[in-house]
Amino acid sequence: MTILALVVAPSILAVLVALGISGRKAALLLLGCALLTAGLSVAAVARVTAPAFTFENLVRVDATTRLFLVVVNPIFLGISSYVWYRVHTTPALRGGMRRFVAWAAVFLASTNALLLANHLLALWMLLELTALAATPLVVGHGHVESRGAALRYLLFSTVGLGLVALGFGCLSRGMVASGQSSTFFVDRLIELRPTANAWSRLGLCLVLLGLGTKLGLAPMYSWLPETYDQAPPAVAAMLGAVQFNAALVVLFRVVQAYRATSPALVASQLLAMGLVSMLVSTVSIIATRNIKRLIAYAAINHAGVIAIGLAVGGSATYGLLLYVLSNAFIKAILFLTTGKIFAHYKTNDTRVISGLIHDLPYSGVFLMVGTIALLGFPPFGSFLGELLILSALVGSGRMLTFAAFCTLITMTFVATGRTVFPMIWGLSKERHEWPRQTLLAGLPKLTFLLALVGLGIYIPPSVNTLLQAVARSLGGP
Amino acid sequence: MSPLLMGLLGVMLLPLFVANWRSSLLGLSCQGLLIGWAAYRLDPHLASPHTWLTLADLVLLRGFGAPLLLYRALRGKNRALHQQFFSPNLLTWTIALGLVLAAFNLAASLIPQDGDERALTSVATAGVLLAFLVLASQAGAFGQVVGALRLENGIALFELGEQQRHEHITLHIGQLALVLATLSLYLWLFRGLVETHEAHASTDEPTL
Repeated sequence: MTILALVVAPSILAVLVALGISGRKAALLLLGCALLTAGLSVAAVARVTAPAFTFENLVRVDATTRLFLVVVNPIFLGISSYVWYRVHTTPALRGGMRRFVAWAAVFLASTNALLLANHLLALWMLLELTALAATPLVVGHGHVESRGAALRYLLFSTVGLGLVALGFGCLSRGMVASGQSSTFFVDRLIELRPTANAWSRLGLCLVLLGLGTKLGLAPMYSWLPETYDQAPPAVAAMLGAVQFNAALVVLFRVVQAYRATSPALVASQLLAMGLVSMLVSTVSIIATRNIKRLIAYAAINHAGVIAIGLAVGGSATYGLLLYVLSNAFIKAILFLTTGKIFAHYKTNDTRVISGLIHDLPYSGVFLMVGTIALLGFPPFGSFLGELLILSALVGSGRMLTFAAFCTLITMTFVATGRTVFPMIWGLSKERHEWPRQTLLAGLPKLTFLLALVGLGIYIPPSVNTLLQAVARSLGGP
Repeated sequence: MSPLLMGLLGVMLLPLFVANWRSSLLGLSCQGLLIGWAAYRLDPHLASPHTWLTLADLVLLRGFGAPLLLYRALRGKNRALHQQFFSPNLLTWTIALGLVLAAFNLAASLIPQDGDERALTSVATAGVLLAFLVLASQAGAFGQVVGALRLENGIALFELGEQQRHEHITLHIGQLALVLATLSLYLWLFRGLVETHEAHASTDEPTL
């Protein structure tokens, strides 16, 4: 039952803040709540071993739940501490804190509830709730551009999740057409192994397309760069590192339940979506001159790699999970760093920002290390994950996909390096007198960085066991 | 096909031919009310709480709430926003009719037996495809919101044909609350866009 505190605590915070707490107090309460949920999620991972059910089977705690709880909550804690620090040091930000904290708490509560849900409709509803909670956060100051981006974000979320709902309806009809009893409980679906027919194939296509939209996969990815660019960096980090993983968990649940129904369809659709996403993101990375958009396009690229890993299955699944976890930490580091950079330079233009390592040493180092991890270099988890996915591609005989993957990744390396490294190592264009950066401000990013290195060098046995269990549930060895 | 479904198909198609903002809102309202009527005919004794929730969603929210509030947000405001709706020309009409034909063919391949279920699925599929046509052809906020609401209506009609859809009443209540919250957010963003159309972004203000 203590695991339900992961949902209850942020919900209470949302009510309290809505009733009238604002400013620094609200930011401090958000930090406290995030600390509590992060602690509880770590405790939940340490305590529960076998899948546990409660609330008429609507809540299920299995390996996937535990793995993502322990990733999402500490990342949210890092984002909360960043927000608290920004509010503490910038009094002008205190005015909008009440609305921010209320919606951020709803966002956290719905994400944690989603990770605990065992019912496809509940998962769908909770994913929609995270999108609804994030929409006012994207608006930020209420400029017409950010309102437009928020509307586009909500629109794509509604359309994507509408397709998912339609797909679930088709899957349900498919079960009835095959003479099976229709259900949306994930554990029962895994046991039942729904039979393939025209309804179930159509349903799976729609569900994958809809969830692909939420993950930023082609063809419906265009909301992502605009939203990440217009949203405040803390919100972009929440979307990229927290909500992305929530959407991914829904995709994992669908794959766990339906992969056996139409394995070829799932693999080919994910592979096509993944490769096209990598292609469009590579072209966009080459063209963009905006650091936040560059990270957003890299997020589309990462989603493509994840889709390909999931399509290949087998030995790629362990690598895929390493890649997913690394990806979450990388995006959190990079978006929070861009927040710091924007606060000083007042621009995201990569041609204007130069000499970061002299101007903002900590931010320069975080941007550099984050970019190296983003590009999948050792010793980070992303390197190991990418290597395992590539090796599985070769092992499964998909040489053409392997060649396309390598070509696109190489082009991404060059384009990203060409844009980001001059920002870090170039000469400062103007001398600024900025307040000295403290280590406290960089503490969340430093923790994420340590986790990132840990995933590449040494994975603790308890985390490794969890990764293996989740990989098995997705068809891994 | 029953007169009700024929009427529903009519209110899905007609706003694309007349193509002004008032007719598109009237079309949305009629869609909500007619889908509500179809839901009522499935359970005329209103024996199940699910039926009450479905009717509240379809009649109150989609039939009256959303179109009226959008109308209030648009009335007397920026003329450019009024005109941001579907271009009525021969090409778009041909595409719309082609999508309706495709929807009927798809439903026939999924449900071989002719009957009510196939007719309902055909009209629901046509609703979804026409919603995508509106979404794909619109760059303005109003057209996109109308497209999204049309899609929601198509899905609601499709759900009427399903059996054992809601296993928990709490999930159905949650779904209704989500529809309400989604509509409220659309209206909030839309009103904000109408009111702050002339506003300019400033990079001087601090941001999180």
